[in-house]
Amino acid sequence: MYEPIRDYAAIGDGRTVALISRRGSVDWLCLPDLDSPSVFGALLDVQRGGRATLAPDMPHRAERRYLPGTNVLETIFTTEEGAVRVTEALTLPGGGLGPQRELARRVEGLSGHVPMSWSVEARFGYGQWKTRIGWRSGVPVAAAGNQAVAVCTWNAGEPVVAGGSIVGHFDAGPGSRALVALCAAEQEPLVFPARADVERRLDHTVAGWRRWGRRSAYDGPWPEAVGRSALALKLLFSAPSGAVAAAATTSLPEGIGGVRNWDYRFCWVRDSAFILNALLQLGFSTEVDAFFWWLMQASQLTHPRLQVLYRLNGGASATERTLAFEGYRRSVPVRVGNAAAGQLQLDVYGDLFQTAWLYARSGRQLDPDIGRRLEATANLVCDLWAQPDSGIWEVRSQPLHFTQSKMMCWVALDRALRLAAAGQIPATQVRRWQAEAAAVRAFVEEHCWSEAKESYVRSAGADDLDASVLLGVLFGFDDPRSHRSRGTIDAIRRELGHGPFLYRYSGEDGLAGDEGAFLTCSFWLVDALARSGQAGEAAELMEELLGLANDVGLYAEEVDPETGEFLGNFPQGLTHLALVNAAVAVDEERRR
Amino acid sequence: MSFWGAMAGAFIGTLVLTTLLRAASELRLTRIDLPFLLGTVVTTDRLRAKALGYLFHFFFGFFFALGYYALFRALGRAGWSLGLAFGLVHGVFTGSALVNVLLPVVHPRMGTPLSSIESEALLEPPGFMMLNYGRGSPLASLVAHVAYGALVGGFAALGH
Repeated sequence: MYEPIRDYAAIGDGRTVALISRRGSVDWLCLPDLDSPSVFGALLDVQRGGRATLAPDMPHRAERRYLPGTNVLETIFTTEEGAVRVTEALTLPGGGLGPQRELARRVEGLSGHVPMSWSVEARFGYGQWKTRIGWRSGVPVAAAGNQAVAVCTWNAGEPVVAGGSIVGHFDAGPGSRALVALCAAEQEPLVFPARADVERRLDHTVAGWRRWGRRSAYDGPWPEAVGRSALALKLLFSAPSGAVAAAATTSLPEGIGGVRNWDYRFCWVRDSAFILNALLQLGFSTEVDAFFWWLMQASQLTHPRLQVLYRLNGGASATERTLAFEGYRRSVPVRVGNAAAGQLQLDVYGDLFQTAWLYARSGRQLDPDIGRRLEATANLVCDLWAQPDSGIWEVRSQPLHFTQSKMMCWVALDRALRLAAAGQIPATQVRRWQAEAAAVRAFVEEHCWSEAKESYVRSAGADDLDASVLLGVLFGFDDPRSHRSRGTIDAIRRELGHGPFLYRYSGEDGLAGDEGAFLTCSFWLVDALARSGQAGEAAELMEELLGLANDVGLYAEEVDPETGEFLGNFPQGLTHLALVNAAVAVDEERRR
Repeated sequence: MSFWGAMAGAFIGTLVLTTLLRAASELRLTRIDLPFLLGTVVTTDRLRAKALGYLFHFFFGFFFALGYYALFRALGRAGWSLGLAFGLVHGVFTGSALVNVLLPVVHPRMGTPLSSIESEALLEPPGFMMLNYGRGSPLASLVAHVAYGALVGGFAALGH
């Protein structure tokens, strides 16, 4: 049985992320890194994917929360016999020799006697490698190829190997304390930790997250939601590289049973401006530098062209293939890799220049080499902007002259001009950039505006609408209070809205089936309303959207407007980025 | 026969051995990581352990080459084929006795069948022919040691 996406919480350690259901099942964990093959993949195939469970052995209720200021999950299971508290985390490295990756699950008896069960069903390589279970120094170990997971337990019953799983049962009485640690290794021998080390690392992990969270400079009206979003985004940060994954999963469907299932374990250039803006607003300066330098290093591989997305390690290869998984609620295909990497999407150039502009505006200096590269990229935008492209939504139909793509080309040239004026990039091509920026604007105003709709439309000459043109308001293509900006905001709400939700666009996209409403667009709408002088309405919508998070404050990519069910990959970085940026925009507008 | 040739062979042979084991690991044949195993004898810091482990590994590379050279002298001849045979014996010895039996005895953090993990972290023991680290481990280790032996023998013979 597949759990609702809404029922998952995420924990992570800066290298990978695990998704844990309300039933206490780790149904998604890729090892050793977020973009590695899954070891626990029941999220996408309940039979073959593998999972690690820990829950009462009888009917129960679960209440969950993150320990305040952390990504450490606490679940209280209540049964007729009593209650237990489970505290779990992917631990952060502490002193001493620890496992390469460690998932620690602490069980404390609160009242009565609760029969508990746990199981570890490791299925390496997206369930495709043959798992062998053996014993080392009394510890059960599941291994395949160059990977292994040891199951270290204390007061959690005698581990038993049964049918390809390692299982155990124990009673949790008042004051009892049991511990289950899954210790993983790739390309090296396993490390079996001592109990005291695991306990210490778990406590150290709580302290480590709180230390990180205290660096936030946000002092607006929604500290809990913004704080949780910051922590969710930090989960998606790749600590070794500074990249930010779009989400922790692949192929959670945008429509149940549909084909819109994509691998989001890459970093999209599109997200870069939102990432940098959110990090700057929240005061995470270390991450600002790490991300910007990652972006500059990754994009160097394809200079002066930009790829739509890059691997978390900065690599450019993202070859798409399908897995033999049955898919979340039979939504196939299950894809790994992402063919969108090879598309022409012109908006990414605007995102790159907006990112560089935000970076420079924050008082940082672009080095001369990066300045020269940006100059060459701006020249490329002059050559490319008139071409049709696949657009921000990566449609798989024929390329079109998407309005938002053209707007972002204008943003690219506008920011190039500002950077040149600030002496951050060479100014030798300024006249060309000015002329081309004017030409882009003329094209948009002439071909992408509909008098009938009183709105910018999805693409040149079309009647369809597209919520992404709100970014024209957010990135300053048009004055947010202008007739055209306000008209566009109204039209998008009217034609793409469903309560607080917005669909991304109307019209063809080359894919079969439907999808849910796109949560990021709702937060963009909040942002646009605030900038257009409608702060009260923006705040109301914001409050409504904040009530739609799951019980631990996380959002997926999309939502079914009728049922409220989450759809798409989870947790979704862009949704949380849009939430942070919208919260800041509303606050700024109110203080103005 | 050349002493310095044998030392040069030791250096190149150890490089090749390390590279072959790493390649086998990338090919998902094994989890052998000799520098990590050696470095954790003296430190619990992962990064330092790997760095020191590489130093120790090269030291052992030269140490074993001295043994090879002594045998070449005793036999009065050297060559890649003789080195290859020594490498094969060396590989079998490493998997069956050196790493399987002796290393857990001297390694302060390596588990044995009698260990428990109540007091301090333990490293996974390699098992016979390092099979605990993957079913491809014996083959990977033997091929790497044979290559090492052939290179030491071949370079030692350069003095003829």
